Amino acid sequence: MSSPKVGFYGFTGCAGDQLMVLNCEDRLVDLFGATEILSFAMAKSDNHDGELDVAFVEGSISTEEQLEHLKDIRKRSKMLVAIGTCACWGGPQAMKLEEGGYEERYKKVYGNASIELSKAFEAQPVDAFVKVEMKIPGCPIDKTEFLSAVTKVVAGRHPYLYKFPVCTECKWKENPCILTEGKFCAGPLTKAGCGAVCPSHNIPCVGCWGPTDDLNVSAEYNLLREKGYDVDEIVKKIKKFGGAGVAKMVKELSAKKEAKK
Amino acid sequence: MILKMKKEDLSAFLESAKEWGELWGPTRKGDKVAFEKVDALSQMDLKATRTIIPPKKFLYPPRFTMFDFDDGGYVERTGEVPNRILFGIHPCDTHGIQTMDKMFLEEYKDPYYAERREKTLLLGHSCIPDEKCMCSATDTEFIAEGFDLFFTDLKMFYLVWVGSSRGHDLVQMRPELFNRDIGKDDIINYTEYRSWKSSQFTSKVDFTGMPDIFELGYNSPVWDELAEKCLSCGQCTMVCPTCNCYNVVDEVELGTIDGTRDRFWDSCMFREYSVVAGGHNFRDRRADRLKLWYTHKLQAYIGEFGEPACVGCGRCVATCPVDINVVSVSKALKEQEVGK
Ligand code: SF4
Ligand code: SF4
Ligand code: SF4
Ligand code: SF4
Repeated sequence: MSSPKVGFYGFTGCAGDQLMVLNCEDRLVDLFGATEILSFAMAKSDNHDGELDVAFVEGSISTEEQLEHLKDIRKRSKMLVAIGTCACWGGPQAMKLEEGGYEERYKKVYGNASIELSKAFEAQPVDAFVKVEMKIPGCPIDKTEFLSAVTKVVAGRHPYLYKFPVCTECKWKENPCILTEGKFCAGPLTKAGCGAVCPSHNIPCVGCWGPTDDLNVSAEYNLLREKGYDVDEIVKKIKKFGGAGVAKMVKELSAKKEAKK
Repeated sequence: MILKMKKEDLSAFLESAKEWGELWGPTRKGDKVAFEKVDALSQMDLKATRTIIPPKKFLYPPRFTMFDFDDGGYVERTGEVPNRILFGIHPCDTHGIQTMDKMFLEEYKDPYYAERREKTLLLGHSCIPDEKCMCSATDTEFIAEGFDLFFTDLKMFYLVWVGSSRGHDLVQMRPELFNRDIGKDDIINYTEYRSWKSSQFTSKVDFTGMPDIFELGYNSPVWDELAEKCLSCGQCTMVCPTCNCYNVVDEVELGTIDGTRDRFWDSCMFREYSVVAGGHNFRDRRADRLKLWYTHKLQAYIGEFGEPACVGCGRCVATCPVDINVVSVSKALKEQEVGK
């Protein structure tokens, strides 16, 4: 059996996930040995296009040029895996999704300067444009979770990523619940996989792994309201990493609250 | 057998017992009370009411590897578990372990649980209930079996119940620290202690009739109201001493078929839990999942074993961020209204 052909691609994001892949140290050699890496601009210079078994895509999509490139990658790939919270859900640059007002925000930053590179638009996750077979979120991704998934993907097996929220790993580590104590912890809304690092250091989770499988946004919202948090602050924090995974829910929630008033 | 021990001798006894294995007990760091490995009695906080996670974590760790495999077969990861003495286990948690034993040692014996159970000695200790304790309502406030030794603190001395031959062996390590001079005053003392403990409960929860109330309330809108509040965070399950569900996954090495088979705590509160092959989900609705959890604790289990699967430890009360727990749920069902 010839080794699977893979490619790594980066779009709008901080490149932290590709860096994390490179940071896999001893296991990186195994990864390069077990696959044929056609393209990985951050790691090597002789990159070429071609048919791929698996494409790993980092970053959200925010320009026409990126979109063309993404579509081309998709066409050439049997499987497309989104890596990092930006590719999976849009990332912080997608926190205004469903709010409109992109043009004004664009003007505020760039004024009337003419930018000729490529036409830009509101950042969105990869699956807003093409089919994505699998998401490995994280900001940045976790080595163990990534390698566990990739190992199975390249072997044609079914990967398993935790679907439950950060709270589960938080309890495995026997932390007291800081949300119950009144702090704004986004653990219940956020997919596990990071090992609950933040609450394990007594710092509330900000949700950087993106939404969990079965989140109850309105329950978290109501709870935080009861605890005295401000509506804007709640919405901002939930949308910061939740992006496309929560945008609609938050919008519906706000509409409901408005209607009640 | 019930023995008597001077309180000041406990430390020396535990020091000797350490010959059998590692000593673990409740320790406090700020708000956090947890069973940790200790060198001596002085590091323990025996006044602490409850640890965040019950002692099930020793018998059935949150995530562990069951065996390694390669193309030739598999090798069990047994034999790596150290001998442990758990000191300071309260009656509710000892009852919790008995429930676990029923799940993992009876009909289908779980080798991983069995090994850890075999290598763990349970040394119980009496406790002072706080406002969240409700073992008086689940009939688990005292314990007569299931421990190796049980120490009841009667202020001037300990009464020590010997619950197993292994407990007896421990006593035999320092027989001079124990005596059987139990007099009239001691009996009165103990009787008073029992009624004092029973009078300390402030939780007014009453579980009598719950199986019928669950039956009657099976289609009650209360479940949907609770579901609106529930975060599906799963904390209740992780902290409950009788919750025992798990998931199993393989982790493989890159480019080979070598790997490990791991097991980790799962929860029926998660949507993913009840998905079956083909994608159907028997409990897609959060309300159905809550109903399953609570009927299991306070109805179905009683039907099968004659006692609730709740041991009254109060952990779900202490930990649920939105105040869903055995107390609030049974109250909501009885009154047909979800509180605040
Ligand atoms: S501290 Fe945060 S992550 Fe941990 S259990 Fe509480 S809400 Fe969940
Ligand atoms: S605890 Fe939350 S914020 Fe911290 S790394 Fe994990 S997902 Fe990100
Ligand atoms: S009942 Fe409470 S602790 Fe349990 S899953 Fe729901 S919100 Fe979490
Ligand atoms: S249901 Fe609640 S009170 Fe009962 S044993 Fe479980 S955690 Fe403890």
